[in-house]
Amino acid sequence: MIKKEMIAMLLAGGQGSRLGVLTAKVAKPAVAFGGKYRIIDFPLSNCINSGIDTVGVLTQYQPLRLNTHIGIGIPWDLDRNVGGVTVLPPYEKVGKTEWYTGTANAIYQNLAYMESFNPDYVLILSGDHIYKMDYEVMLDYHKSHNADVTIAVMPVPQEEASRFGIVVTDEKGRITEFQEKPAQPKSNLASMGIYIFNWKSLKEALVTLSEQEGCDFGKHVIPYCFEQGQTLTAYEYHGYWKDVGTLGSYWEANMELIDIIPEFNLYEEFWKIYTKNEILPPQYISAEAQIHRSLIGDGTEVYGRVENSIIGSGVVVGKGAVVRDSIIMQGAVIGENAVLDRAIVAENAVIGARTQLGVGENIPNKVKPGVYSFGLTVIGENAQVPADVKIGKNTAVTGNTLPEDYPDGCLESGETLDKAGVVA
Amino acid sequence: MRAVGLILAGGNSYRMRELSNKRAIAAMPIAGSFRSIDFALSSMSNSHIQKVAIFTQYNSRSLNEHLSSSKWWDFGRKQGGLFVFPPMQTADNGYWYRGTADAIHQNLDFLKDCHEPYVVIASGDGIYKLDFGKVLEYHIAKKADVTVICKDLTPEEDLTRFGILKMNEDSRIEQFDEKPMAAASHTVSCGIYVIRRRQLIELIERSVEEGRFDFVRDVLIRYKDVKRMYGYKIDTYWSNIASVESYFKTNMDFLKPEVRDYFFRQYPDVHSKVDDLPPAKYNPGAQVKNSLVSSGSIINGYVENSLIFKKVFVGENCVIKNCIILNDVYLGDNVHLENCIVESHDTIRANTYHTGGDGIKIVDESSERYVI
Repeated sequence: MIKKEMIAMLLAGGQGSRLGVLTAKVAKPAVAFGGKYRIIDFPLSNCINSGIDTVGVLTQYQPLRLNTHIGIGIPWDLDRNVGGVTVLPPYEKVGKTEWYTGTANAIYQNLAYMESFNPDYVLILSGDHIYKMDYEVMLDYHKSHNADVTIAVMPVPQEEASRFGIVVTDEKGRITEFQEKPAQPKSNLASMGIYIFNWKSLKEALVTLSEQEGCDFGKHVIPYCFEQGQTLTAYEYHGYWKDVGTLGSYWEANMELIDIIPEFNLYEEFWKIYTKNEILPPQYISAEAQIHRSLIGDGTEVYGRVENSIIGSGVVVGKGAVVRDSIIMQGAVIGENAVLDRAIVAENAVIGARTQLGVGENIPNKVKPGVYSFGLTVIGENAQVPADVKIGKNTAVTGNTLPEDYPDGCLESGETLDKAGVVA
Repeated sequence: MRAVGLILAGGNSYRMRELSNKRAIAAMPIAGSFRSIDFALSSMSNSHIQKVAIFTQYNSRSLNEHLSSSKWWDFGRKQGGLFVFPPMQTADNGYWYRGTADAIHQNLDFLKDCHEPYVVIASGDGIYKLDFGKVLEYHIAKKADVTVICKDLTPEEDLTRFGILKMNEDSRIEQFDEKPMAAASHTVSCGIYVIRRRQLIELIERSVEEGRFDFVRDVLIRYKDVKRMYGYKIDTYWSNIASVESYFKTNMDFLKPEVRDYFFRQYPDVHSKVDDLPPAKYNPGAQVKNSLVSSGSIINGYVENSLIFKKVFVGENCVIKNCIILNDVYLGDNVHLENCIVESHDTIRANTYHTGGDGIKIVDESSERYVI
């Protein structure tokens, strides 16, 4: 009989709407990160580095890019005879057919998948965090504390604690209370959305709560286990962990990689991060190029100036172009003499010659001020920006834009130019 | 595809000097992130050849490491696949490979068990892209016994290390000399051949029986006038890397936009083993001009007209000009290198100076690396 001690379930179905046009056509876990990676590479690499060789990836929102990226799991050594990576989309059933209505509901709909591996423990992960973590150490903690459920937590600054789900623990690490975004936090330990369940407890909770609308781990399953008097422990994690849920935090996390010795170091031999390498050739830096404090991906050609930026694979930065404090994703083309300041240019976008991004004042976005802020200019994937235009701050541009879309050759700060029709 | 591929990757060349001390020529790193044999393997894979045998002998461990999995070239399959054949002792053979024909002969059972009617034979030291489907069409249309891929080189190049061909108007080979001191033409054999499988088996069996072990001298040249041999001339990029000078020049060719465009941007791609290294990093003080930089490298100094291979660390105030820095090299601060090839995994201590002068210096300090 097949027997896996612990299997992982990776929640990768969310849209991540706060990343704006970056997630218009791809699920958040498939968004590019750090020059050559995608966000999901981090939890997947953590799994294989922790010795977990069975991972179910739950997909729902725009799964094409994610599916192509994961394939049969070759980059992560997750192509296995038994186990390996399995992509789990919602499916039709006899009687009640539904989408994944919540995180726990998605897991519930895949009880049969988990059951087939006869696990003792199930690790629940989300596909949108940047960190390196040894889940095996967490499992040891779980076992040694005789826990039914272990929640990974990390200390956050006390003044920020009210933004998180906070757990309160006793001296043995047992959880005594939960506070969801409390005004008066009683502790500074924030839940990281990483759980280890005893298989029996998880199954029992999911079956009992199966009728719960939008069944969610944080809102329903964990409180249920708590009420049932099960042993919930908190596993304290003290490394780098970043939620890249907003454009601001996404930009910041990318920029942190540039530091001389970054807190999150991709160059360490130990705990490698794996990804699907679509482009192999080296990058070419021309005689007139200038590069200062940047990460640059494979197969990229730089003819201009790049400063404090993350450049993906297969990008072309034209002659005389200046790219500052920006993120350029795979396959994008930056025209000659274009100037980019604090821009995020998504995959395969084309920026015309002499065009300027990130000019003018910092005026909030008129359509979605909560998304397009931080003074960033966001260009959606496959977007075309014509030559000789100026684009302001807190803006978003998608689709094939033409010179006549820019009155006076300008898109003012705070405006949105959505030719692809993806900004809902 | 109706052909099986053979890659002759067992040889050594004194022309590679120290560079062949620790690796087979077919495993020489090329263009920042490839190995020499990737080009033959990718051409075969991209031409839908499904079954490839590689004959290895000299320093084969380096090559075996690179061939750790056949999936990188899409050869990880049930129909066909990648076969690596080092010499082996059997009840009736105790020899190493005594030559290229002997290498094929010692593995003749493999060829006999194939069902493909044709064989493509290539070496592991050529840098090119080739559609073997087209070559095979040509071979069949010409009713040839053997087709030899060839290319016109410029008169300035050293022709004495190549096989020289002379063909008539119909491209039939009239003259074939192996490494002559005075070349009869500028057309050189690329070391890539197409031949009918049964024909190959017959010729190899007869040659080895007579104690002749070299495929070019004892099979091709010897049978030139009794078999129909044709040349298939290519005008695309081709280069042989089996000397230090040509190895250096071939790598430097990748600094030219047309060469990069041909190999890196035009379909089909060249495949290689994936190393899972992070993007290259440029710290303050980095200045890079007209150079190729591969993943995993960290640059703190000045680099000009050079190739930086994978996972290289360039320290502060370094000056690197016209150099090839192979994989996993650590250059301490204030290192000054000109016209050098730095051997892989080497550690160059701070304040070191090396120059190749008018030639090319192969730097191998073999110093200890201190890992904190």
